[in-house]
Amino acid sequence: MAQRPSRKLKHMQEFLQTDITPMMNLMVVLIPLLLTSAEFVRLGVIELNLPPESSGAYSDALDAIPQEAVKKLDLAVTITDRGFYISSTMAVLGGSTEGEPSIGLKNGEYDFLGLTDKLYDIKQKAQSKFPDTDKIIIMAEPDVDYQTLVSTMDAARSIKIDNEYKELFPDVALSAGVF
Amino acid sequence: MSSRLIKLKKRNGDSGDVRLHLTPMMDMFTIILVFLLKTYSTQGQLINPSADLTLPSSAVQQAPEMGLDVTVSRDWILVNDKPVVKTDEVIDQDGYMVSPLKSVLDTYAREAKKMEELYGADFSGKVTIQGDKALPYKLLIKVMATCGQSSYPNMRLVVYTEE
Repeated sequence: MAQRPSRKLKHMQEFLQTDITPMMNLMVVLIPLLLTSAEFVRLGVIELNLPPESSGAYSDALDAIPQEAVKKLDLAVTITDRGFYISSTMAVLGGSTEGEPSIGLKNGEYDFLGLTDKLYDIKQKAQSKFPDTDKIIIMAEPDVDYQTLVSTMDAARSIKIDNEYKELFPDVALSAGVF
Repeated sequence: MSSRLIKLKKRNGDSGDVRLHLTPMMDMFTIILVFLLKTYSTQGQLINPSADLTLPSSAVQQAPEMGLDVTVSRDWILVNDKPVVKTDEVIDQDGYMVSPLKSVLDTYAREAKKMEELYGADFSGKVTIQGDKALPYKLLIKVMATCGQSSYPNMRLVVYTEE
């Protein structure tokens, strides 16, 4: 006849569990440590490289190339309060009617998606014909705010097709030509 | 003592041994730990965003680097957290050159070049620009023109990354 477990043993088994106190100690140390070094907002940077003050070598190299060979696209986007004007050395891309911006406002806001699509078209057409198809000049009216400028740079940098980023014009130069 | 407490005590047996349940707490800690490990960065914060401005957000994924820190907040333009000139004055002025800013930047450039000669610390001409997202373009272009003129041509605009 099997022995019936004693009352005392049964009582002990109720409270038998792994000792998690050392684990707790570990957590208490690790969590403050990681909390202090956590990065909750991620920062990024947009790179803009101007030629250094004395860029003699660069301009000399440009002079050495015969003038006909340097047929550049010189694509520029101008941000105005009415929308984006896209222009190159040859022409300004017209809007739907005369004098309208290439890409107008959409519901009172800038149409960044429209700009990206348009620039993608231009990139496809110009890729084989010009040497500078990753450069773009961005100009803006004096009162355009910084966020709009950054969003425009984003729109000009890459396009997302089928969840894949394709490079458009990552080499941005800013110009103050408008005012 | 309320009758409920008495009942509780009775259920626990006569010993009165009420134990704290640590298991749910452990679950919580494990989740927090995993979350924190995921957000952990070995690099740490290279750039401290200033309090007086909201950076614009962008889809760019490039990580920040060290450089001279020029901050354009709503009230002041600061270089390495030292106020240089009032933002309003710069907006109103004509021409692109912000002379107080230029003199400060020149001082930093001179020191950095001296360091390069003496100790071989490379002078890269890198400057990180933090600006409020509502800044007008005319102010930004003045600050950038000034940086470009005072041997800091490699500019980085600091933004919040989306996603």
